[in-house]
Amino acid sequence: MSGAAAIEPAAAEERPLARAWRSVRTTAAKIARTRHGAAGCVILLTLALVAAFAPLIAPYAPLQAAQASLAPPSLGNLFGTDSTGRDIFSLVVYGTRTSLAIGLGAAVGALVLGGAVGMLAGYFRGAVESVLMRVVELFQTLPVIVLVLFTVALFGSSFWLLLVAVILAIWPAEARLVYGQYIRLRGMAFVAAAKVADLSTVHIMLREILPSAIQPVIVQVALDASVAILIEAGLGFLGLSDPNMVSWGQILHVAQDYMTVAWWTSLFPGAAICIAVVGLNLFADGLNEVVDPRMRGRLAGLQP
Amino acid sequence: MSAASVESAPLLSVRNLKVHLRVGEAIVRAVDGIDLSIEQGESIGIVGESGSGKSTLARAILKLLPNVELAACEGEVNFRGLDLAGISDPALRDLRRHHGFAMIFQDPLGYLNPTKRVGAQVAEAIGGKSFGSIGDRVQQLLAEAGLPSPAQIARRFPHELSGGMRQRVMISIALASEPALLFADEPTTALDATLQLQVLETLRRLHRDRQMAMAIISHDLGVVAELCNRVYVMRDGKVLESGDTVEVFESPKHPYAAQLIELSTRHRRHAAPVGSKAVP
Amino acid sequence: MLRFILFRLLHAIPLLIAVIFVVLLMLQLIPGDPVQAMVGDFPVSPEFRAAITKQYHLDASFPVRVYSYFVNLLHGDFGYSYQFQRPVLDLIVETAPRTILLTSVGFLIAIPVGVLIGIISGTTRNKRVDHFWTSLALVAYGIPIFWLGQLLVLVLAVHLGWFPTQGMGPLVSHAHGFAWLRERAHYLALPALAFAVHEGTRFARIMRASVADTLGQGYIITARAKGLTRWAIIRKHVLRNSCLPLISVAGYVLGSALGGAVLLETVFTWPGLGLLLVQAVRMRDNMTVVGIAIFAALAVIVINLVVDLLYAAIDPRIRGSS
Repeated sequence: MSGAAAIEPAAAEERPLARAWRSVRTTAAKIARTRHGAAGCVILLTLALVAAFAPLIAPYAPLQAAQASLAPPSLGNLFGTDSTGRDIFSLVVYGTRTSLAIGLGAAVGALVLGGAVGMLAGYFRGAVESVLMRVVELFQTLPVIVLVLFTVALFGSSFWLLLVAVILAIWPAEARLVYGQYIRLRGMAFVAAAKVADLSTVHIMLREILPSAIQPVIVQVALDASVAILIEAGLGFLGLSDPNMVSWGQILHVAQDYMTVAWWTSLFPGAAICIAVVGLNLFADGLNEVVDPRMRGRLAGLQP
Repeated sequence: MSAASVESAPLLSVRNLKVHLRVGEAIVRAVDGIDLSIEQGESIGIVGESGSGKSTLARAILKLLPNVELAACEGEVNFRGLDLAGISDPALRDLRRHHGFAMIFQDPLGYLNPTKRVGAQVAEAIGGKSFGSIGDRVQQLLAEAGLPSPAQIARRFPHELSGGMRQRVMISIALASEPALLFADEPTTALDATLQLQVLETLRRLHRDRQMAMAIISHDLGVVAELCNRVYVMRDGKVLESGDTVEVFESPKHPYAAQLIELSTRHRRHAAPVGSKAVP
Repeated sequence: MLRFILFRLLHAIPLLIAVIFVVLLMLQLIPGDPVQAMVGDFPVSPEFRAAITKQYHLDASFPVRVYSYFVNLLHGDFGYSYQFQRPVLDLIVETAPRTILLTSVGFLIAIPVGVLIGIISGTTRNKRVDHFWTSLALVAYGIPIFWLGQLLVLVLAVHLGWFPTQGMGPLVSHAHGFAWLRERAHYLALPALAFAVHEGTRFARIMRASVADTLGQGYIITARAKGLTRWAIIRKHVLRNSCLPLISVAGYVLGSALGGAVLLETVFTWPGLGLLLVQAVRMRDNMTVVGIAIFAALAVIVINLVVDLLYAAIDPRIRGSS
């Protein structure tokens, strides 16, 4: 009897973790099997490799201005050069780092902030719920770009401030999603069982409920990352991003005045943004197909 | 086609029907070679536990299965001399709108549009072009399905009605085309005991007054014993036994049918005695 | 229904107050000189400094300042822009209608086109038509709105010369009636088209998912069993029920239209609220930035209210449960 009691808590602790890990592994395998998911994975992996090995891939340092200005694409400058004679291919390669960093950083930040708020509001209900959800609503009252511009206008635009601004703008969506999940799951039998077993509240929230809530949340993380990349690109385009960083949006900002005479200054960085956003959305689509069986290809069409 | 051949042939005849459904990655033989026939004005029962393929059988016959779920469907389905397998869309719609067949479903809340008043939902099922009198006809149908004060009910939304009332709305919709054959898929399962009895009574009255053929699909043998002359016992997409209801229920030949009947009667002695008088 | 409206209104007012409070709080958090934060990068004489300090109670405590800003707001005073040398409210009143014109024209193009594509896609799921539109929508969604604007300028304005590259047309126009309309439409076409393409993809995507979801509902089977034609099923059952998610997305799009306008108006030098906001941010004209932020919040609150009412009008289940 005492032996069984000693084993049981350990088993209860291991099980949800193992379950979460298995869920992540099988989900990843399933995403790669969907058409959209596979395409998304290929794009994201390629971008990650480009970002990681940027110095090896780019022929020039990002801010090196040793070329003829506004030279069209050639073998020496694959994507041409911009008005100050920088190699656009190298700029785009290095810009991958900024975009991925903002995308990943903001998405994870929004997941942590929004996840925590949604979790608390959904699990405890009552006063906690009202207060936290009013705060969420408050942040949703300002349009995302206006909120980011507002923050940047008031406090400046270093990379970290920018990251915080983007997180502040996108976390409410994540909070609402997690909130909905916790409201749905907190009434289920396995949660009641965990309460009867006298497991701690933190344990129930993180180890019992979280694994069941995680999948749609990951879809939202991928979408958040694409939104963050678009916001950063927009700010860069307005010339309000961190001036010490190379980013796709900033290349477009510089290109703005020369677009009509040098299409290449605009085409390649713009296409890079598009590819990254599409990649993340494809990934999210694939994940969605895995998570939500109703999205699984065969859905009712219209018939007599 | 001569009038004589129509009268001699059954209203509906199904021969060697096979329906394969996609369930996730797998393919399930939901209906696996079934023969079945319904005479004009007759009432048959199809019984079996859940998952035996009864609902799929009904939907396959009436061509209501979603194409995306349907992996394969073969066999012969003949309604009033018409081959339903190769029927054109307009002809199929015509059968559904005028004196052909209709169906009522187990869960009336899901099968009624939540954003439309029930009167409008009944009205769209009415065939013909008598626009002036459609309102009267709707009320008449609702009353015929046993709803009190049909004028008020017609202006309600489905979520404002009780389960029994919703099922009666479903029945009104089915009656609107004055069908020769009505399929009822678990018509009383979602209702509580007293309502079950009332809805069954309504179905019996309609069957008698309208000379309408009925196929009652149910896991509840009491319901079938109450309403049906003949019965088909299904399991795993096959008909195990069929024949006169009293004969099959009193002396089942197939061991599974015997077991099913035995379980059902034993359960019935403990549960609410809905229609138990007809169960031997 | 009236109770529902009152309930939503009562909910909206504290939200607006809270937004103003937070915005002002952030204004307080700016490091450095509060006078400088108020007027922007602008040389300040001691007399001017004293006057400003007195006018805006800058030496008083935070609650006093918030209170005085509130009182001013209630009198329609959004503060004064020292960069533009005009009251902020004047600036907003002058530029906002241009932004509303641009976004509403784009919106009115995007809704029917997006909905139509969504329905076609949703009812022909996984056939070739669906794949075509889905892929197109996906790529269009990934194109940043400002880059899309640039591409349109490059192709339709610069190379083909069909449209002007920027601006809103002559400030003082001598054309009247239809000619005036045509002149404006000429300048409006490209930015509105960019907005429509960008947001239309959102509508198409949500409509496709929502139509497909509706088609899986039981009442569609009932409708088929009634012998309705495909078109009748779409018109009578699919459209209305699929519209609920569309309405919330449409509300979101309108609410965040200023975000897109900031970028589009910069590309096309369209002198609306978005361009004003960007200029104000660049000049550190914080009073204008704050004024626009509050105006935007007000717009979002009003739009959300309308969305809620539309929801209740379409879905009887919501009306009952307020």
